[in-house]
Amino acid sequence: MRSNHKNTLLKVVILGDGGVGKSCLMNRFVSNQFDEHSFHTIGVEFLNKDIDINGDTYTLQIWDTAGQERFKTLRTPFYRGSDICMLTYAINDKSSFKNLQMWKNEFLYYADIKENNQFPFIVIGNKSDITSEREVSQLELETWCNENGITSSIETSAKNASNVQEAFILAVEHWLRIEKRADKNETVYNDTVDLTKKQGEKSSCCIGSSDEN
Amino acid sequence: MGDIEEVFDLFTQDGVILKQAQASYMQFLNSLGTVYINEAKTDPRERFLEWKPNDITVDSDMQDQEWAVVNTIQKRTRTISGSLPSDYSNRLRSLRVPFRDIKSFKSSHKNRELTVYNGQGDTICIFLFQTNCDHMAGHLKKFMKVVPSKRDRNLYYVQDNTLEIQQLTKSFAELNLPTDDSGIWRLVRNFQTQPVETTFEAFSKVTTLMYKTMDKKEISDHDREALNKSITEYGSNNTTDFAGNSNDYEVVATVPELPVRPEFPRLKPLSQELWRDHMDFEGKIEDVESVKNLIFRGGICPSIRKEVWKYLLEYYPWTSTYKERQNLAENLKDEYYKMKLQWKTITKTQEDNFSDYRDRKSLIEKDVNRTDRTVEFFAGDNNKNLNTLFEILMTFVMYNFDLGYVQGMSDLLSPILQLVEDEVESFWCFVGFMKIMSSNFDIDQAGMKEQFKKLQELLAFFSPNLSNYLNEHDSANMFFCFRWLLVWFKRELSQDDVMRFWEVLWTGLPCQNFHLLIAVTILDNEKEALMANGNGFTEILKHINDLSGKLDIDTIFNKAEGVYHQLKNAEHLTDNVRAILGLPLAPSSSNSASSSIAREMSLASDACASNGSAPRCSVENVRISPDENSYERSISGSYL
Repeated sequence: MRSNHKNTLLKVVILGDGGVGKSCLMNRFVSNQFDEHSFHTIGVEFLNKDIDINGDTYTLQIWDTAGQERFKTLRTPFYRGSDICMLTYAINDKSSFKNLQMWKNEFLYYADIKENNQFPFIVIGNKSDITSEREVSQLELETWCNENGITSSIETSAKNASNVQEAFILAVEHWLRIEKRADKNETVYNDTVDLTKKQGEKSSCCIGSSDEN
Repeated sequence: MGDIEEVFDLFTQDGVILKQAQASYMQFLNSLGTVYINEAKTDPRERFLEWKPNDITVDSDMQDQEWAVVNTIQKRTRTISGSLPSDYSNRLRSLRVPFRDIKSFKSSHKNRELTVYNGQGDTICIFLFQTNCDHMAGHLKKFMKVVPSKRDRNLYYVQDNTLEIQQLTKSFAELNLPTDDSGIWRLVRNFQTQPVETTFEAFSKVTTLMYKTMDKKEISDHDREALNKSITEYGSNNTTDFAGNSNDYEVVATVPELPVRPEFPRLKPLSQELWRDHMDFEGKIEDVESVKNLIFRGGICPSIRKEVWKYLLEYYPWTSTYKERQNLAENLKDEYYKMKLQWKTITKTQEDNFSDYRDRKSLIEKDVNRTDRTVEFFAGDNNKNLNTLFEILMTFVMYNFDLGYVQGMSDLLSPILQLVEDEVESFWCFVGFMKIMSSNFDIDQAGMKEQFKKLQELLAFFSPNLSNYLNEHDSANMFFCFRWLLVWFKRELSQDDVMRFWEVLWTGLPCQNFHLLIAVTILDNEKEALMANGNGFTEILKHINDLSGKLDIDTIFNKAEGVYHQLKNAEHLTDNVRAILGLPLAPSSSNSASSSIAREMSLASDACASNGSAPRCSVENVRISPDENSYERSISGSYL
């Protein structure tokens, strides 16, 4: 049923240490802009961007949060309902790479993902333009992904727009593969699924009217 | 109860932890499960609230997810565990509460907890929601007849028809109303004897008034239609069905009016002449309050801003002399360089073995390069001012290592350094600012949470429509104001405006937490846009984030000060609001029953809130209870 959707809204969360370029990736992807000295993010921001894959349109709602540990309580509530998670580090910052594990765990915990093997994670090594300061090799990236059962990874540069579009396309394609698999598995329960979904929709539209004092 | 029965799921929500229930459910406490509102398929079609554990139990370590936000995108069904076929036989091991046992319920902890009470004042159960209980509470409100408590807007009493009338009668009786047959008292007594009829008589009077007024004043077709519709609907639903269990009239709250908002024109900035006039021959500032007042009204002239900020940020005491300031400056300079030397002399090995220090340093390095780089003062590569920014923040880490460096601090320091320029003086001014702001950077973010709560309360009082809307659209947590509050609008305003904005707030006038009234003012200004198109949290966040660069501070200050006076002079001002604004608490109020009745009974008073112009009347705001306090007391007496 879902494959018939002409336009699908996908919630994408970009996670990673402060300063790895989360906001820059988002801004490069959405508005094709790059500002070397843009502000660090305070609070939470998001931008929407449409992307076409195989004739279908996907609206990506990209959520960008403050990376500092201190703001964990602010950030984690936004993980719920995510469709795609981009784990981001900078290739010239080893510790940001080491923290991927922490980010992945934090995401799984707060996004309340039950089927974690199937969730579309994509690992992004940003700042690929600064190869002279590289601290994380591509091999290390691949090894980490293998160990963590993650099949999508890519090195990007928000600065020279290298692989940024590709990263988001890769993420959506990964999501699609998992979706198709989930569809197959779910056909057994099709009726029940529909019923519940209907009720869910009904419930959300009744809230407003039932509360009006 | 032993047999397998068929039920309709009227509503389900997963991700709900059972926090408290009778001892027999001990095994389920702190387990994750799903709540249902069910209706039996067989007669009687009883409805009940049910909670059923998931197969997997999890730790209830949900503390740090206190600020839950709901999904901004509807979940796909495959992620809802409840979408699998329900196994009803399992429900024997579930918690089931018939609707008839529920006498009140309450949401708390930022709508993450829902407590259900029985009629004896005992808790039946407490649910902790991973998102929030808004949907659940919304459905309970829909399926049961409830009235909101006037004391606690998160508490709802379930209404039983017969009881309700008894209670109402009782509360009228308690009032000892006079017995003369004229005007208002007849109306009041009629409420006792014939509540429904009297209510509709009252409605008809409102209608008459509406139509009479309409002759004189233009009223839009839309309003007329809405009025007609609401009256018709009310009539058809209620008159015929009063004895039944559903569709009864609801008690709805009037919103008492605030006093008219006074205008406070902004003045010119504090000038050099005026500033000098306030300084005596020794250099002490005379009449500090008057100086602060001038700054509050108009800010500070740029030529003396640098000097005056040092007083506002407590680098200099207002009453210090020239001589004292000189000594003070020398001492503080020494102290600064001592602290600076501490981190300057840390060796590579020490640093390698000192991860807490390293982490702080790395955060500062990253953020300094991303702070106000578009401002000329910090522009360009190898800018020495960036280095000063770095060194001050590093020294601040040594000054308060536990607090350390948190994102947002560089934003607070940047304008100070640009203005003051001197490294040492900037540091101490920053320390003064951090005295006001440090709770924003608490490890557990308790300070921010506290501010959200206060903002929520102020908004609920000042702008109840908007506040209700936010409550109903998953936005009551006030999250979207995070950036405003964390760095006092630094990211929303131009460099010049930030300086003006902060110096006005530093005066501490006209009340404490004035910055929250500014937030209330802006939210109130944006009310219509925020409430448009059924906006949810996502759209609201977007709108607020997009206000950056579009705020006019003079207009906002002007209105916010007016808002302060409206609140201060509001007769119904609550102690909560008083406490937030630092106003003296009200002497224990003994509501004069007759005057409050007279007020409530002026049926045509408060109205179509969206439209400030006459005619000001609304059927929705008619109250049938003359004194809701006593009404509520009588209910709580028997229920809680």
